[in-house]
Amino acid sequence: MVKKMKKIISYLLIATLVMVSLIGCAGTAGSKAESVVKIAVAGPLTGDNSEYGIGFKNAVELMVEEWNERGGVLGKTIQVVVYDDKNSGEEAAAIAEKIVGDSDIVGVIGHFASGVSMVASPTYQENKMIEISPTASHPDYSSEGDYIFRNNSVISAEAEIGLDIAINNLGRTNIGILSIKTDWGSSTAGITKDLILANDKLNLVAQEEIIEGSDDYSAAVTKFVNAGADVIIVAGMYNTLAPFAKQYKQVNPDIALVGFSNAYSYQLIELGGEAVEGVTFPISFFSGSTDPEIQSYVQRYIEKYGSAPSALTSQAYDSAGILLQAIENAGTTDREKIKEELYRINYKGVTGDTFFNAIGDAQKTYVRATVKNGAFVKVE
Amino acid sequence: MIVQQIFNGLALGMSYALIAVGYSLVFGILRLINFSHGSVYAFGAHMVLMFVSMNLGLIPAIFLSILLTGLLGMLIDKTALQPLRKKKSIPIAGLITTIGISYIIQNMLMILFGSERKPFPALFDKGMINILSVQISSTQVFMMVVSILLLAIMTFVINKTKIGLAMRALSQNVKAAHLMGINVNFVVIFTFFLGGASAAIAGTLISGYYQIVYPTMGFVAGLKAFSAAVLGGIGVLHGAVIGGLIVGVSESLAAAFLGGTYRDAVSFIVLIIVLVLKPDGLFGKKGIMKV
Repeated sequence: MVKKMKKIISYLLIATLVMVSLIGCAGTAGSKAESVVKIAVAGPLTGDNSEYGIGFKNAVELMVEEWNERGGVLGKTIQVVVYDDKNSGEEAAAIAEKIVGDSDIVGVIGHFASGVSMVASPTYQENKMIEISPTASHPDYSSEGDYIFRNNSVISAEAEIGLDIAINNLGRTNIGILSIKTDWGSSTAGITKDLILANDKLNLVAQEEIIEGSDDYSAAVTKFVNAGADVIIVAGMYNTLAPFAKQYKQVNPDIALVGFSNAYSYQLIELGGEAVEGVTFPISFFSGSTDPEIQSYVQRYIEKYGSAPSALTSQAYDSAGILLQAIENAGTTDREKIKEELYRINYKGVTGDTFFNAIGDAQKTYVRATVKNGAFVKVE
Repeated sequence: MIVQQIFNGLALGMSYALIAVGYSLVFGILRLINFSHGSVYAFGAHMVLMFVSMNLGLIPAIFLSILLTGLLGMLIDKTALQPLRKKKSIPIAGLITTIGISYIIQNMLMILFGSERKPFPALFDKGMINILSVQISSTQVFMMVVSILLLAIMTFVINKTKIGLAMRALSQNVKAAHLMGINVNFVVIFTFFLGGASAAIAGTLISGYYQIVYPTMGFVAGLKAFSAAVLGGIGVLHGAVIGGLIVGVSESLAAAFLGGTYRDAVSFIVLIIVLVLKPDGLFGKKGIMKV
């Protein structure tokens, strides 16, 4: 028996050796072909925020497919390399090292969370690698260096519109703030709070912070109810907003909820059901828009992936477009030249006209969307 | 507001108690901390979701899930723990093995169902009940009734039935029980079946209450339930329930007076204080030693 096992194992080992050497050959042959331009995508493909990372990947692949159909960029085929950072800083740091180690990669679309992006960005800056995050909204993110861009508004711009929704669209002034305890959540809550305190018409009645991933919000709900809040601004993703809405509406069905653009995802409706009816948020992209360019993009996206793209996914789509356009404008894959082109670009994409200011921040225009009868509709 | 917060805590505590009973059951009989219990709980909830999506109806789905999750408990024992017992390995090996199994189950659920949060049908939702100024949801009351029933059934099985007698014999001395003609492996496997079935019930009720399921749902809840079981005196079933309620209420009060980010810390601080004052937990028996 043992002898037989040994024999099998030795055969297996030989087989593996042969395979490895064959794969080795293929590898060296591939890397010699210099007719590709690589774009990296880094985001959470697994875990709690996987919905967003998969959206990044889908969007960038769709954009690259369109460019490749037209003959690629600078006559070279574009290749997408995907990395899963699990929305964790440690993973992102390791991935950043891998990305800067590959000289064929011209730029990174990612990462998802501000905190995670800020772990990776020093590595990118140091190695002159272009990073465009479609989502990071922490004020400090883009100040890391001149290679670090974002195709998203900073929080304050979005928070201002969120408050305007509460006052003018919903007619509420007694505000409670609920935030998740992450870099993004805490700074969003802080900025929103300052904006409320600066406005005489508004009344901040309670502020609560929760740890992302705990499912019981009853303690926070009781506090908000007792404080007399009539609108809650929720700085959290759909997976916080939906269960919170459910638990709150059991106690007080009249509460109004305002979200941020990163809760704009069809999973919000799937998870929240009736409880998320009337939830309103500012978004940079609305898939129900009548603009023909946006419609054809939404159509292609649905054909390929089966669901409509979210706002952040569309910002990733435009981010890839911006990067490729900058490469084309620069006429070279020299990252320094491409970076300079990025500061000059005025890109007309599905999330509006995009140009970067001196520190690499894009200014986005917002539409307001709300949930009505189980679907997102634009607030007029 | 304090009264409302205490009730919030009691409801949360009931969910911990439901999970804690399973920890206590296996430990009471085998002196083994079964860390896979949290994942088995998540498995139970996912099975209900799967059978519901097959249009089998909610009640049959719950029963099928209880059965299947019980079988998973048996499978864990048969494949991973029985060989260890046979080789008379040190107790810590069993504990580490269950941690490994917990990850295997969790990752399997991620592959099969995806890692995101999924909606779960509401169970027994008849709106809110107002008593004076306190609001309790009907689901919470339902959960409380079921956990007390579950506890009663488990206590009955252990104290009044033949297999229960065998379980108690095993917990005192495995060798002697074996010599008395008790089929040790069968009793152990039965215990794991009960543990799995109780995890499925807990998973169904808690998911029905929060209306959410996801593969890692058993991690934090399992840890809290474990501390609840230790707090109440691990191995004592009613201790697990009381422990769960204490953890739940202290968490809720911490969230109310210190802020939501302190709740986890406070529930474990309470555990440490109880263990310092009473090392065997609130209802634990002194001098249980496993040789």
